Amino acid sequence: MLERIVRVRNSKGIHIRPGQEIVQTAEQFLADVFLQNGSKRINAKSMLGIMGLVAGEGTDLKIITDGPDEAEALQALADLIESGFGEELEEE
Amino acid sequence: MKSLSVRELYESKRELFQFEVLTGSIDSERPITVSDVHRPGLALAGFTKNFLAERIQILGETEMLFLETLGKEERRKAIDRLFQEKVPCVIVAKGLEYDAYLSTKAKEVGVPILRTPQSTTPFIHRLAEFLEEAFAPRTTLHGTLVDVYGAGLLITGKSGIGKSECALDLVERGHRLVTDDMVIVTRKHNLLYGEASEQLKYHMEIRGIGIVDVRSMFGVRAIGKTKRIDVEVRLREWSASVQYDRLGLEDRMTTILGLKVPVVTIPIIPGKNITVLAEVVAMNHQLKIQGIHSVDLLDKSLIEAMRKKSAPV
Repeated sequence: MLERIVRVRNSKGIHIRPGQEIVQTAEQFLADVFLQNGSKRINAKSMLGIMGLVAGEGTDLKIITDGPDEAEALQALADLIESGFGEELEEE
Repeated sequence: MKSLSVRELYESKRELFQFEVLTGSIDSERPITVSDVHRPGLALAGFTKNFLAERIQILGETEMLFLETLGKEERRKAIDRLFQEKVPCVIVAKGLEYDAYLSTKAKEVGVPILRTPQSTTPFIHRLAEFLEEAFAPRTTLHGTLVDVYGAGLLITGKSGIGKSECALDLVERGHRLVTDDMVIVTRKHNLLYGEASEQLKYHMEIRGIGIVDVRSMFGVRAIGKTKRIDVEVRLREWSASVQYDRLGLEDRMTTILGLKVPVVTIPIIPGKNITVLAEVVAMNHQLKIQGIHSVDLLDKSLIEAMRKKSAPV
């Protein structure tokens, strides 16, 4: 099992469109993928779960992957979230 | 190009329009090729530029009153102008009296004249409706059309995937079958309508059982004659390599007879209840028509919730 903490950078946070990208990315791996915001932990392959995270900009999200391709899954998810999903980023 | 002979018009609509033939023959050299009709007032008056000779020419009270105001010679010239190009046919409305030269000239050039006792404008509307139907673009599709909660669902997918079984299940739940397996699609204005072929009407082929007559079995509440096509529901065997729509953020479209129709692709997995999914597709369509896009609303409220949470207190 692997973990990494990443920060949500796009100004609108993880709303539906980024959520869809997370699901589509997570689904490519055999590993289980979870996202944790505070005490809330959800399956990243579930759309409604991601929406339930309510992860706005600046949120520190923990990515947890577990399975045969956990390292690749962790990297892919971290890259995606840190890229800001191609949306407008928060102002530094 | 699609065309309709004047004889076909006369024979199919003789009773509705109470047509009488004022010329000896009903056969015209020129078929009807367009659904619009024309009132040739300006041509009679002398302005023949842009005269729409390919259309059925309708003579109403205005045209006839105008002809009456002319002297004999002028009137003949006016009538000659009407026939200078080959028109498919001339129809006199409102049972109006006509100048004998009109029928003489028409016979001479081989253009039939019909007369209806009906008022000009209502007659034109009805005639245009009939012509539009006759000239409407048509195609035949492989699929099943069911009226589900008022939405016309065109269920498509390859043979054996379960279109008929899905339709049967929908009928069982109180929805209406329009046609199974073959849909005759007609485009009218900007809408598509589907119906059954006259012979196959309300029959279904269910694998393992055979041909079933839905009307006899379920009664009239289970059938519909024609239905507007609102959504195509595509049944596909489930494949791990295909990404299915999880959100419905954008409407995916297909094109039928040049019109865009939203498509919902449903992966088929044994044990999955497609019927309930089809009902949800129909209800979701009706909600969208009411202006309620569930996913957009959810997105807005989510962004709002995140904005509040991150705003400094």
